[in-house]
Amino acid sequence: MKKLISLTTLTVCGFAFEFDLKPIKVSENSYYFEGKKEYFSPSNGGDISNSAFIITKDSVILIDTGSTVEYAKQLKEKIKTITNKPIKYVINTHHHPDHFLGNYVFKNVNIYGTTYTLNEIKSHGELYVSNMANLIEDTAYTTKSLSPNKVLKEGTLKLNNYELEVYLYDGHTKSDVVIFDKNTKTLYTSDLIFNQRALATPHADLQKWIKTLEKLKKFDFKTLVPGHGAVAYSKNVIDENINYLTFLDNRLKNSVEEGLDTFEILSLDVPNEFKNYSLFTQEYERSIINLYPSYEKKF
Amino acid sequence: MKHIFFFILVFLATTASAKNPIISPTFDDLVKSIIGEEEYIFDDKNITIKVPSFADNPVQVPIYVDATKIKDAKRLIIFADLNPIAQIVDMPTTKLLPIFSSNIKVAQETPLRALVQDSSGLWHVGSANIHSNGGGCDISSQASQNSEFSKFLGQTKGQVFDKKGITRIKASVFHPMETGLIFGNTKFFVDTILIKDGNSLIDEIKLTPAISENPRFIFETKNKYTNLNILFKDNDANSFELKF
Ligand SMILES: [Zn+2]
Repeated sequence: MKKLISLTTLTVCGFAFEFDLKPIKVSENSYYFEGKKEYFSPSNGGDISNSAFIITKDSVILIDTGSTVEYAKQLKEKIKTITNKPIKYVINTHHHPDHFLGNYVFKNVNIYGTTYTLNEIKSHGELYVSNMANLIEDTAYTTKSLSPNKVLKEGTLKLNNYELEVYLYDGHTKSDVVIFDKNTKTLYTSDLIFNQRALATPHADLQKWIKTLEKLKKFDFKTLVPGHGAVAYSKNVIDENINYLTFLDNRLKNSVEEGLDTFEILSLDVPNEFKNYSLFTQEYERSIINLYPSYEKKF
Repeated sequence: MKHIFFFILVFLATTASAKNPIISPTFDDLVKSIIGEEEYIFDDKNITIKVPSFADNPVQVPIYVDATKIKDAKRLIIFADLNPIAQIVDMPTTKLLPIFSSNIKVAQETPLRALVQDSSGLWHVGSANIHSNGGGCDISSQASQNSEFSKFLGQTKGQVFDKKGITRIKASVFHPMETGLIFGNTKFFVDTILIKDGNSLIDEIKLTPAISENPRFIFETKNKYTNLNILFKDNDANSFELKF
């Protein structure tokens, strides 16, 4: 009933969530929008992850489209205030809803995603939309799922004569895209990096994730744009993520050996450096609950 | 109006002891169907129930009940007020401690209750609320849709842990725990766990398909047993053995 009422208000008043998006300059031709370090809620309209864009000679390349169609619409408008070149290319870094549910706004452009991401969005996209509506309510009601229409492969991606290096990794999900822009030495890491925000692990493989992060340390980047949190300029941020994942992996392994129950793990002490991450309590609990059964299987 | 009606009901049902901490429309009927006219009190002080702060995955919700503060507990029953299959487990707690850990399915946000009977016959009721978007009981088991499933059916795993005079048994079995609530699916679940010392029975635990697929359990006892083993029996007359 509550939903019905808000839906009516939506259509009658033309209510739209005001995202107040602020493009932050990364280099002479690249910008990113920083999502709030919060969990999905009606009051943030689902704006919790980062999107980025690169301006080329006569086009714009957009990396990730946010949690809703409404967000993506406002994103498009904001980009127009920086450049009048059209958004001709969109890249989805992975299949998590906060990174692709804005796709529908770009239904007439080339949307790139890996085969895995494309299939996941095709088969579970609508489920993600209804989950989003449960979490953020009104702002999600105009959202429709749209899967990528171009398969993204590893190697050089030439878009309008602008070259990007594409790397396909895994760990945060089964398919995580990392983009290196050699022109500006910017590394777009997708959700393989969370900066000062607790890592989200619903589809994670911790050991693979750690291995991937070791590879990211080899890149000669000037700026790193994470999936959540502020841009970083040093490899410390990668080490912080490795430390947290190693801590989580060890804690789960040791708990299996000691025969602990899920809630006994959750009552153990946690190093302060991790407790200070935003959303630590929620994400840590979620990680232990989701991951512990797969560790227990090995006993 | 509905609220006032509930309020009056609750008011009438409340004795001098603690009030029901989580009101639900089905609690009174459920309690009656399980313990009849026997007396009960709400006792969150002596019963610890742990549930996630939000259950993201409604088909795998971990729960942990510890009623060891009730020294002479005889029996432990756990149910979820708003689940289509409300009852979860029924176990004797004279040789086993009144502790239970497993994963359950929830159909929607629901109170979870642990009923513990002491030696005077009085039931103590512990309560906790499980927040979830639900969908857990009417989703068909994933395993039962897996063609590889027959290969693994009944595979058991377990380990015994010794900690400060208490023996903890962790045990799991590969089983779909199919509720039968989906049209076309037949009920197929582990309904009994026999915990044994050699050939002699220690305790018999009754389960329902409200327990998650590929169930895992923790049981504890203060007694010393030299030859612990477990038999999982399902409603299709299969039995699967776990030897430590
Ligand atoms: Zn993600």
